[in-house]
Amino acid sequence: MVRLGLRSVLAHRSRFVLCTVAVLLGTAFVGGAMVFTDTLSAALKKNFSGSTADITVTPVDPVGVRTGRPATLTSDTVQRIAAVPGVAGANPELLVRDVQILGADGKPTETYGLPTYGGAWPRDAATAPFRVLDGRPPWGGSQLALDQSTASREGYVVGDQVRVVTGTEAVTAELTAITSPPLSGPAAGAPLVTFDPATAQLLLLGEPGWTSVGVAVTAGSDPATVSQAITKSLGDNVQVRTADQVAAAGENALDDAFGGYSAVLVLFAGLALFVGAFLIVNTFAMLVVQRSRELAMLRAIGASRGQVTASVLVEGLVIGAIGSTLGLLLGIGVAAGIRFGYRRLDLSIPDVALQVHPGTVVACYLVGIVVTVAAAYPAARRAGRFPPMAALRDEVALPERSLLFRLAIGGFMLLMAVVLYLIGVRARGLTGAVLLAFAAAITLLGVVMTSPLVSRYAVRALMWPFGREAPVILGRRNAERNPRRTSATASALMIAVALISGLLVIAASAKASIERDITDAIGTSELVVSSDDPATFSPAVADRIGKVAGVESVHRVRQQQGKAGDRTVQVSGVSDGTLDGPITAKLDAGSLDGLGGGQALVPRTLAKTLDLSTGETFDLTTNTGRHGLTVAGILAPNRQLNAIVVSLPTYASIGGATTDSVLYVDAAPGASPAGAIRAELKDYPTIQVRDQQAYVASARGPVNVALGVIGMLLGLAILIAILGIVNTLALGVVERTREIGLLRAIGMDRPQLRRMLRVESIAICLLGALLGLAIGVVFAASVQRVMVDDGLSVLDVPVPQLLVAVLLAGAVGVLAALWPSRRAARLDVLRAIATE
Amino acid sequence: MAAGWRLVGGWLAAVRGRVGGAKEPRVDSVRRMSVAVRGSGLWKRYGSGQTQVDALADVTAEFGQGRFTAIMGPSGSGKSTLLHCLAGLDKPTAGQVFVGDLDITRLPEKQLTHLRRDRIGFVFQAFNLVPTLTALENITLPLDLAGRKFDQEWLDTVIDTIGLKDRLGHKPSELSGGQQQRVACARALAARPDVVFADEPTGNLDSRSSADVLAFLHRSVRDFGQTVVMVTHDPTAASYADRVLFLADGELRSELLDPTAESVLDTMKQLDATAAAAG
Ligand SMILES: Nc1ncnc2c1ncn2[C@@H]1O[C@H](COP(=O)(O)OP(=O)(O)OP(=O)(O)O)[C@@H](O)[C@H]1O
Ligand SMILES: [Mg+2]
Repeated sequence: MVRLGLRSVLAHRSRFVLCTVAVLLGTAFVGGAMVFTDTLSAALKKNFSGSTADITVTPVDPVGVRTGRPATLTSDTVQRIAAVPGVAGANPELLVRDVQILGADGKPTETYGLPTYGGAWPRDAATAPFRVLDGRPPWGGSQLALDQSTASREGYVVGDQVRVVTGTEAVTAELTAITSPPLSGPAAGAPLVTFDPATAQLLLLGEPGWTSVGVAVTAGSDPATVSQAITKSLGDNVQVRTADQVAAAGENALDDAFGGYSAVLVLFAGLALFVGAFLIVNTFAMLVVQRSRELAMLRAIGASRGQVTASVLVEGLVIGAIGSTLGLLLGIGVAAGIRFGYRRLDLSIPDVALQVHPGTVVACYLVGIVVTVAAAYPAARRAGRFPPMAALRDEVALPERSLLFRLAIGGFMLLMAVVLYLIGVRARGLTGAVLLAFAAAITLLGVVMTSPLVSRYAVRALMWPFGREAPVILGRRNAERNPRRTSATASALMIAVALISGLLVIAASAKASIERDITDAIGTSELVVSSDDPATFSPAVADRIGKVAGVESVHRVRQQQGKAGDRTVQVSGVSDGTLDGPITAKLDAGSLDGLGGGQALVPRTLAKTLDLSTGETFDLTTNTGRHGLTVAGILAPNRQLNAIVVSLPTYASIGGATTDSVLYVDAAPGASPAGAIRAELKDYPTIQVRDQQAYVASARGPVNVALGVIGMLLGLAILIAILGIVNTLALGVVERTREIGLLRAIGMDRPQLRRMLRVESIAICLLGALLGLAIGVVFAASVQRVMVDDGLSVLDVPVPQLLVAVLLAGAVGVLAALWPSRRAARLDVLRAIATE
Repeated sequence: MAAGWRLVGGWLAAVRGRVGGAKEPRVDSVRRMSVAVRGSGLWKRYGSGQTQVDALADVTAEFGQGRFTAIMGPSGSGKSTLLHCLAGLDKPTAGQVFVGDLDITRLPEKQLTHLRRDRIGFVFQAFNLVPTLTALENITLPLDLAGRKFDQEWLDTVIDTIGLKDRLGHKPSELSGGQQQRVACARALAARPDVVFADEPTGNLDSRSSADVLAFLHRSVRDFGQTVVMVTHDPTAASYADRVLFLADGELRSELLDPTAESVLDTMKQLDATAAAAG
């Protein structure tokens, strides 16, 4: 049977081409994603083996989220560490991210997504997180050092003036030294700017403090013992790790991050393969029908059912193995290509060979083969059921198994989807959205099961506008002829289109919601001033804006993160008067009066979770510890103030930095000072001055990025769905060779023949696209409804885009028919008539 | 006139280097006022060298309008090839085919297709119908493809004659073989073509169904003045025709007018004997 299967694959290889391509694309995606993330993570892991200090002491971050000002250690702590027996030296270090180094042209340097770090010049080169390559140590506020790759990329040499923007200040200083990039830890390889320690603390933190202490142990001491001694001496406020532990923790963090990446990529690959499975199902179903006589013959000469089934499954196995092999190779090739591109960027990421783990190989083969064999199974089982008598009959009319079974399962699924939907719509928020997503998935499967029943009528209705000319009727009838095949082909497209259209609706709604929320939240302010990276800026900026002609008032908002209960929350400090107009703050309860007295406003959702009402107190944890706050009022949802709000003095008292996050600028009546403000802030190139419209546009930016990325990932599924249509048409042409010959003989010309196939193709495409569109839009709209308080306040169905999608589906139908119809038109009439 | 054409055809074939010496006897057809289809000096050669086969070797024949011609001959004698060449389904290696006055061997693919659609009807031995279309839709298919308006009266006449009025809405799979062939004949006639070619239209049928189909073809010639050319192995079927042409080894060997089953059988025996003597 194995040999039979192999023979059959060889004999019908042209009919398996697209099948193999589908498996190939899916596994290539799996393989490529895994190889690339493995390679990158192996490269970055190298950074952790280079930790220079024997022991590293870091503060325990009480908030646990890296944003705003980092948690720090005091110089006092450093001295206490130095006093621990076995410690040869304790070197305080400072490394803070989200700094901008400006190029000679005044624009932030391109870092290809890596955050830029700012640090303090080390006291002891032995335990420093980077090496000094050239020059003399920077000293004072007007000298700095840069890492080698940044310097060479921007063309800076020692002696040049370099401008740097930090979260607290912007300075121009002379380049006095070139260092390596940070050698280990999360900052490894990233761009780095260093100052002398005092300047670094001022510029990077705005106050004294260190982000870690590198400890060297005396000769002969055991780092583990020393680290226990340090823990004993300092208590729970610090984390003490040996070099090995630092490396292990870093690798774990990387594994987590990359594991997440791979999981997402593999999810999309899985989707592509799932869509590809429809193509495989169709191919095998059609081949089995075409070979029914041969298979029945096998039964007649004594093969058992199981043997016939096995012979078809072997074909699936072979196709799966071939597709997986090619896919794995393609995946490795693509990963190698990306790696090559990455290396060209001259980022200081350590170089490692392409990592092809055995797990990747196993995963590719497993996925490719399992999917193919599973998809071939229904056809294989049917093949085993051919009665031996069928070999003797002239035309094997296969009694299609009744659709009742499918209908029952499909109906049950749809019912379940309805139940889930009803539960989902009632559950608010993210839970509801997740339930709805499940309901949508089950609906899609249910429709896949039941659609053969309705596809005939649907096709008829869809094709009605195309008229009643002979080629149209023939094409339509061909699409109706085998409902299972048509609906399986359309289903693949349906799934892809449902995802795309759902995505479009949610993205459009997100954008519309952002716009409305911003317009609702921003009151009288004409201009919003913010900085992208670093996210905070010097308070001097507000002062300078206040002096620009045409500016009436400037309101500061400062932000950091904290923890209330076990929830991470945003904490905002606002200057006086900010909520009296510039930002529209609506209160559910209480008043703004308490703010001046050190009380806080709490957003509605948080008040609900913590069960807080006006006048009650709660604990807020920031990086300086726990602080008790009294509730002055409950804030209605407000995009600009989705935070615990306090006055600026209170903000400072709970550990907030004196750097601003957002400024709201009121212009004097009739004045438009935006241009003047921009001119004033020319030396702060990271700061953006935007009117409301531009601010809305910038807030929508991430949505567009996400839309683009997800759209690209879904593109693979769409591509495979289209291949499926080509496949169905092409195999249909093979199957109907004689019929096509007959049509040609009695006078159908080539354009008519092409038209016939085009109509069939368009019918399948429109069926899939419209079903997908309906399901995608309905569920996306429902998701918007349950997320109405969670960022999706407005429903926006982008009708023009969706119409374009439907037209595109039609166009795809036309394109998909091109190749099969060319083959059909080329058929030799006489030979076609003569084929069996 | 016909002799002249024969000359031209032979000359053409000679120019192409495909004539291995003129082969007699030539069978002269009965003169009619007008000729529906004429094949002149037709050669059809397959393969080359060792495997070379001349399926047609200098065949010249006329098919008069309103006549029913049968073509007979042993298997492999070139009957189907001749029919395909005459119907514009195949191109002869040399020689010409005229439908009316039109030399169809020169026509480009598209015109040829339209000629088949509008002026020629074809009935194959089996698988004549498009399975997705009903009987009626199959009958009108050539007209639909041409986008022509049907002559409803003619259509009714044809449908009446095949006697399947109550089965018109059925799909081919719901019709018997004989019924399918009658539908195929009706389709071939629907566009009132210059000529209908039928390649063993009764080859797969029992004698009763054969009689139905043949009676129908006969009537279409006698009552409606259609021109029919039919290949058959069956002397009884041939006896429905006005004339029988005998083909062997790609050459016309004999002709019989107003045949009966017996006279056809006799001629076949004679030819067999000649062939045996020659072989
Ligand atoms: N495509 C082809 N390639 C090579 N030889 C061919 C081809 N088609 C036909 N022939 C040869 O041409 C000769 C005539 O074939 P044709 O089909 O015309 O015979 P026929 O008289 O119709 O026979 P039958 O009664 O069996 O249908 C045969 O010897 C056949 O082998
Ligand atoms: Mg034949």
